[in-house]
Amino acid sequence: MKGPIVSGAILLAGMFIFLKFILPLVTAPLPASLIYLYLALTLSGVMIFGTMSASGLESLMGPIFRFLSGKGQSGMGQMARLAVLVLFPLLVGWQTYTSLAPSDLPPGENRTIHPAPPGEFVGLANPYQNNEANINMGKGLYAAYCSPCHGANYDGKGTAAPGFNPPPANFSDPGTIAQLQESYLFWRIKKGGVGLPVEGMPWKSAMPRWEVELPDEFIWKIIMGEYDGAHQSPRTWEEEE
Amino acid sequence: MLNRLSFHSTIIFVGVFGILGFSIGFASDPPPADEIGTSVSVRMYQIEGSLPADDPNSSQWDSVPESEFNLSPQVHWPDRIQEVTVKSVKVKGLHNGQDVAILVEYEDPTEDPKDAAAVEFMVGDQKAHFAHGQPMLQVEGGPVNIWFWKKENGKALDMSAKGFKTLTTQEKQDVKAIGAWEGGSWKVVFSRALKTEDDQDVQIEPGEWRSVAFAFWDGAVVDGLVKEKGSQKAVSSWWSIRAEPSADNSIFGWVILGLALAAGFEFVVIRNLRKGQSA
Repeated sequence: MKGPIVSGAILLAGMFIFLKFILPLVTAPLPASLIYLYLALTLSGVMIFGTMSASGLESLMGPIFRFLSGKGQSGMGQMARLAVLVLFPLLVGWQTYTSLAPSDLPPGENRTIHPAPPGEFVGLANPYQNNEANINMGKGLYAAYCSPCHGANYDGKGTAAPGFNPPPANFSDPGTIAQLQESYLFWRIKKGGVGLPVEGMPWKSAMPRWEVELPDEFIWKIIMGEYDGAHQSPRTWEEEE
Repeated sequence: MLNRLSFHSTIIFVGVFGILGFSIGFASDPPPADEIGTSVSVRMYQIEGSLPADDPNSSQWDSVPESEFNLSPQVHWPDRIQEVTVKSVKVKGLHNGQDVAILVEYEDPTEDPKDAAAVEFMVGDQKAHFAHGQPMLQVEGGPVNIWFWKKENGKALDMSAKGFKTLTTQEKQDVKAIGAWEGGSWKVVFSRALKTEDDQDVQIEPGEWRSVAFAFWDGAVVDGLVKEKGSQKAVSSWWSIRAEPSADNSIFGWVILGLALAAGFEFVVIRNLRKGQSA
């Protein structure tokens, strides 16, 4: 059996397989609503292409209409039509139920991981020289104060990490400190979790407000040790421009 | 013929994709895999009759599904602790429309008089920091309500805090707790009325989400010192908790309406198709 219906169905199925299974191999998985939108666009294309002429219209839609109207059908055709007519309302009913049924999941929280810092913490330069002595001092301080949560390997997997939500930042991930300037880290270490703005959900963060316990010098040196240990570099002003 | 065919094509296209789109639009993707613990919330199931609030070992608890949360040493403020005994807690909840009972179960190899457990809630609408509702710099925070149980007291304390060193025992005590240790693990049941007259208390409304956190102390004496006390404890940060709402039968009305609309749509389309074919 050949014809525009079969080609259209193959195209739709192929598109679905591509969007759902192949594309996620190279990028993040698409949300269901976006896959639906792309499939609707593909179907629109099939419909427009198939209905450009009267004969095309008849060969695309004719069999569907004759199938649905049920005239002159018998045997398998009749059964298939009945199945489609019964299944369609059931599918709608099921979708209605699943969309309205109470969920066990708490409402989603869109926490901003790197919210904007207060003005006084923008563009501060590290006043300490980036040399071996300072880096080593920073690493020692990191081991004492930061590694219980952020991990001896700078990967966020410290022994004190498992109970916290959000989890401690993983500095070896290129999405964390490599995206930030030193002044941003200075703010986050100095003011801690309680210093976050509302979009950062400060009530959930276990990060201590280190300004209460450590002098600024220690914080700047910890930042140096952190970047060196995690094999990352701070984002600089030059790259911003 | 062409116009009628086009008309029918359009009707079917708009109808089928409209209805499916409407329903898929509501459907959400599965939640992302949970990287932290095994659970994100506690569901307090609704039952008829009395709650097993006086007996942590009651067989009534056996059939209640549990949530499990990992715990960390308290490192948010001094005095810190680097290593704790209790690594995770299993939590079950029940309510009967009047009262609520929460069972926490956790491993602790020894039974000691200073062993203790606590369940913490945010109170009211204002967000409170999980570390005793301590002040936040850019957000006006609220208080927390802490249900505290200690083996040597043999009863619960209903407490409040809003910041470091503000922990106080409330004048009006509304919480009960009973603990039972067996074979290296504690089971402690906390219970209270869903709602109280005290505005220092968390008010639990079935169907509404609340924030909850947990803390545990291993009171074992090592070298003459109590191993975990005060701020030296195992903690969790905030998770969600909800008393299950009563069944909502209106959903089935909407399902029937959906079925009827879809069937009606089929009827109209087929009737039009048949008219067209006989014309």
